[in-house]
Amino acid sequence: MSGHDHDHNHPHAEVGGEGPPGYYDIMETAVRELLIERGLLSAAEIRRQIEVLDSRTPALGAKVVARAWVDPAFKARLLADGWAACGELGITSYDETAMIVLENTPQVHNLIVCTLCSCYPRPLLGLPPDWYKLKPYRARAVSEPRKVLAEFGTVIPDDVEIRVSDSTAFVRFLVLPQRPAGTEGLSEDELAALVTRDAMIGVVPATPIGGPVP
Amino acid sequence: MSDTRDFVRRLPNDIGGLAADRIDRVEHALQPWEKRCHALADVLDYHKIISTEAKRRGVEALGSEVIGKLSYYERWIVAFANILFQQQILTPVDLARKMAEVGARWETHA
Amino acid sequence: MSDDRFATVFPEGERAAFKAGDRVRIATRAPIGHYRVPTYLRGRAAVVEAVIEPAAVDNEAEGFGRDAGMKRHYYRVAVPMTEIWPDYAGSPRDGLYIEVFETWLEEAP
Repeated sequence: MSGHDHDHNHPHAEVGGEGPPGYYDIMETAVRELLIERGLLSAAEIRRQIEVLDSRTPALGAKVVARAWVDPAFKARLLADGWAACGELGITSYDETAMIVLENTPQVHNLIVCTLCSCYPRPLLGLPPDWYKLKPYRARAVSEPRKVLAEFGTVIPDDVEIRVSDSTAFVRFLVLPQRPAGTEGLSEDELAALVTRDAMIGVVPATPIGGPVP
Repeated sequence: MSDTRDFVRRLPNDIGGLAADRIDRVEHALQPWEKRCHALADVLDYHKIISTEAKRRGVEALGSEVIGKLSYYERWIVAFANILFQQQILTPVDLARKMAEVGARWETHA
Repeated sequence: MSDDRFATVFPEGERAAFKAGDRVRIATRAPIGHYRVPTYLRGRAAVVEAVIEPAAVDNEAEGFGRDAGMKRHYYRVAVPMTEIWPDYAGSPRDGLYIEVFETWLEEAP
């Protein structure tokens, strides 16, 4: 069978130990050093970008969601222009993408996927989990989203409309989950703690009160 | 079967709707070289030496067998090398010599 | 009041060719080399949800290094799941949403 039927379905390797660098590790170092020697980029730029990547985690997205839950005017601005509203909280895009925020409601459940590669709102959520980049999720989220959601423990009633957004161009998506019941008295920080990465991909709801701590 | 059209018309990563296994919620922390590779990709895009779109195209061009066997960032770095050769920024011999040099560094330290 | 003497003609591609609510069809086309319209959507009827601003370079050409010049719009379109998968299991209101470049969309009658 061709590679179509046997995608690379497992992440490689444990975090680097003391052994010699692997072939691709050496290739990365070689390509980077050659480009630096030719003056096409600098070591400082690479270091800086690693800091940028390390600074982007789902906590940023959670902060945005919690603000939208407590501030209807902010939510309206967020739904109108994702990156502009994130900018109000000091979170900027570094990758020339646009951001569409998709609001889950009692009538509509949104799910995001990238069938062709691994498009993801990295400036807001950090790097995607492996399962998001592997074949089972990418292949099935667009054809049997209800089954896929059930495998995450999320059962969507038949009268709720499912909208699957397949990222292919320069638009990235953030799911704005529904605010859990019984959270009226919580502070913005406490609310943010209920917002997991997976809730912002749309595979699970925000953590209910008394539910598992993210 | 003599019709080979779908080998060229369906890109290896065009998998939406194909039959596939149950979701296994795997994750791993990036190895240092994988994170450097991601940062390299971003910086190459900032300079439009290799745009995100060119990277995607370069990965697809590896073909389904290589895509199926290499891990995510292994595919990226091989795609970058091929694109840099095509752009005549690097030559295969440049890379082969530099890789030998980098590998030898570790041996002398060991 | 309009004045035909000053009617402005816009260059090809500058103005969006479709608007929200337009009924369209995603082209039945099978490019080689590079594309960003998944095979599963070819030939499907869709409704334009939004014009994505700003206009951008065609990503099929961008994949080969083109990063400037002629631009057109991407459109966020909605396709019912039942239009894509004839034996779709789920609500008939479930839908697929995707951004498609202008050259891939045709007016649907």
